[in-house]
Amino acid sequence: MIFLAIQYLLERRRQTILTLLGVFFGTVAYVAVSGFFLGFQGYMVQQLVNNQAQIHIQAREDFVTDHQLDNDFYGTKYAHIFWSSQPARAVGYLEVQDPQAWYARLASDPRVVAYAPIMSAPVIMTLASIVQSANLIGCDPELESKVISVPYFMVEGSFQDIAAGGNRIILGEELMKRLGAGMNQVINVSVGKGAPAPFRVVGHFFSGSRGLDLQAYGNLGDVQRINLTPNRVSEIGVRLKDYSQANAIATSWGKLAPELIESWDMQNLNILSVFAIQTVLRFSMIFTVLIVAGFGIYNILNMTVSQKRQDIAILRSMGYDTFDIVMLFFSQGLIVGIVGAILGLIVGYLTCLYLQSVSFMNVTPTNPTGHLHISLSYSIYIQATFMSIFSASLASILPARAAGKLTPIEVIRQGG
Amino acid sequence: MSIIATNINKSFGDPPVHVLKDISLEIKDGEFVALTGRSGSGKSTLMYILSSLDNPSTGTVEISGKDIAKLSEEEIHRFRNEELGFVFQAAYMIAELSVIDNVLMPTMKFDQKEKRRSSAEHLLDEFGLKDKMKRFPRQLSGGEQQRVAIARALVMDPKYLFADEPTGALDTESGDVVMNIIKEINAKSKTTVLMVTHDPDFAREAGREIHLADGAIISNG
Repeated sequence: MIFLAIQYLLERRRQTILTLLGVFFGTVAYVAVSGFFLGFQGYMVQQLVNNQAQIHIQAREDFVTDHQLDNDFYGTKYAHIFWSSQPARAVGYLEVQDPQAWYARLASDPRVVAYAPIMSAPVIMTLASIVQSANLIGCDPELESKVISVPYFMVEGSFQDIAAGGNRIILGEELMKRLGAGMNQVINVSVGKGAPAPFRVVGHFFSGSRGLDLQAYGNLGDVQRINLTPNRVSEIGVRLKDYSQANAIATSWGKLAPELIESWDMQNLNILSVFAIQTVLRFSMIFTVLIVAGFGIYNILNMTVSQKRQDIAILRSMGYDTFDIVMLFFSQGLIVGIVGAILGLIVGYLTCLYLQSVSFMNVTPTNPTGHLHISLSYSIYIQATFMSIFSASLASILPARAAGKLTPIEVIRQGG
Repeated sequence: MSIIATNINKSFGDPPVHVLKDISLEIKDGEFVALTGRSGSGKSTLMYILSSLDNPSTGTVEISGKDIAKLSEEEIHRFRNEELGFVFQAAYMIAELSVIDNVLMPTMKFDQKEKRRSSAEHLLDEFGLKDKMKRFPRQLSGGEQQRVAIARALVMDPKYLFADEPTGALDTESGDVVMNIIKEINAKSKTTVLMVTHDPDFAREAGREIHLADGAIISNG
């Protein structure tokens, strides 16, 4: 029956090409749009998992809830306490309670690639008359380099220059501009407790992310000292072998200690929810295109079945059965689906390659070419093939079944 | 080996219209039988029932000793493919296929295309269509198309040929050619032929004539 199905398709070239184009454009759209969105999402995820720690083990700071202090003040005597002034304050700790226990736990966990303790402090930086607030992160540069990618974005100086301590500081590019600071200049850093401490600028970095570029890095010991929190850490950053496991690992660690443990995806739920919306939009759009293509196949096959009633009658009289007739028409839809999908995959792939080569974005250390990030993941091509062939098959099955139900006598009696 | 119909009744619609009324007959192997009657007499309906294309409302049909109603779907399709040939008033050519492919179409059902190719070419040669094998149906006259249809009906070397007014749509000359072919098939290959016809001249050329009126056999022989 395939032989005859191909003859039918070749004979009705214009209709065949039109239906083929429907599937073709659907497949191209799926590959290109998915490549674009998934490439963008992949790029964003890479930024999130590389620029910062994949799991943050932080000192937990909570807030007093409305009736949390009722029992402490009044016991269980009263059913309800009405506060004229609601108690309110932060409770908890500003530092990780038992960092040594965490270090031991992380060092023995095979899923962990590296970890780095930091002391983060909000500071006021002063250079001459310029005053700028910033976040100063104290770290061990060697450990920090294994957890985040900021050390690789150095414009001048080396991230390791803060290793020795001695009040050296590395500034983000944006912070450096706002302070009007230059290399080797001394800026005063105040944490609001004690006298401001002078720090010498030994380097600066540019990540392309304004949030990161407003931060400053110093030696862990220096920051602990000026913050009056010697040997304390506010956070331990962790890098994993498989960042997709971060959420599950963070959840399981959360049960072991009082610290607040968040994975990169927990901290970026808003971005990930945008990805989810993009995915819904992507599938809706492609689904619409393929529905239109499917209707094209359905209409044309329906028309073909009514035009080919005589052929069906004569084939049935030759001994061809219902299945043969169903396959005669179903295979036409399937052939259109397969050929359309193959051509669509090729052109979709070429479109993706072209998009990859075109500059659309600013050049940054995280995107040194400035080109769009297009995903060429094989899963897109498998999904596109499946969706195209599935929609073509679905559209073919109804006309094919109708054809299969026709009996020769029915056609002959109705005069073909 | 013959076609035996016993108490065939056929009715259509609601209220039912009785098209065939208690028909019993036997067609022996190698016979050439003409089914005649006026329009609406039930001759085509009887032929379709005798050839397994339609089912009787009541009654049985046996072909080559097999009760058609008792054959499975697969058996009936194989039986139609291997034992029965059909020619209709219209040639019912598949427009997308060449003459030779049209003739070979029945052979493709059970993968006998190559085995039957020489037989198909021989039939076309015999019917004066040797030089038109590669042509498409639209390039043939009505008479030529009907000859191709006969070749297609014979390519599987069937025991029975059922023809429903095969000359009905042809001019006299083409009709005579088609009629001679059918007669020759019956004479040479001993193929049993059951032919529905309006034409009394063609009916006389058959060895036996069964005349129907109002769904009943009026004369048989």
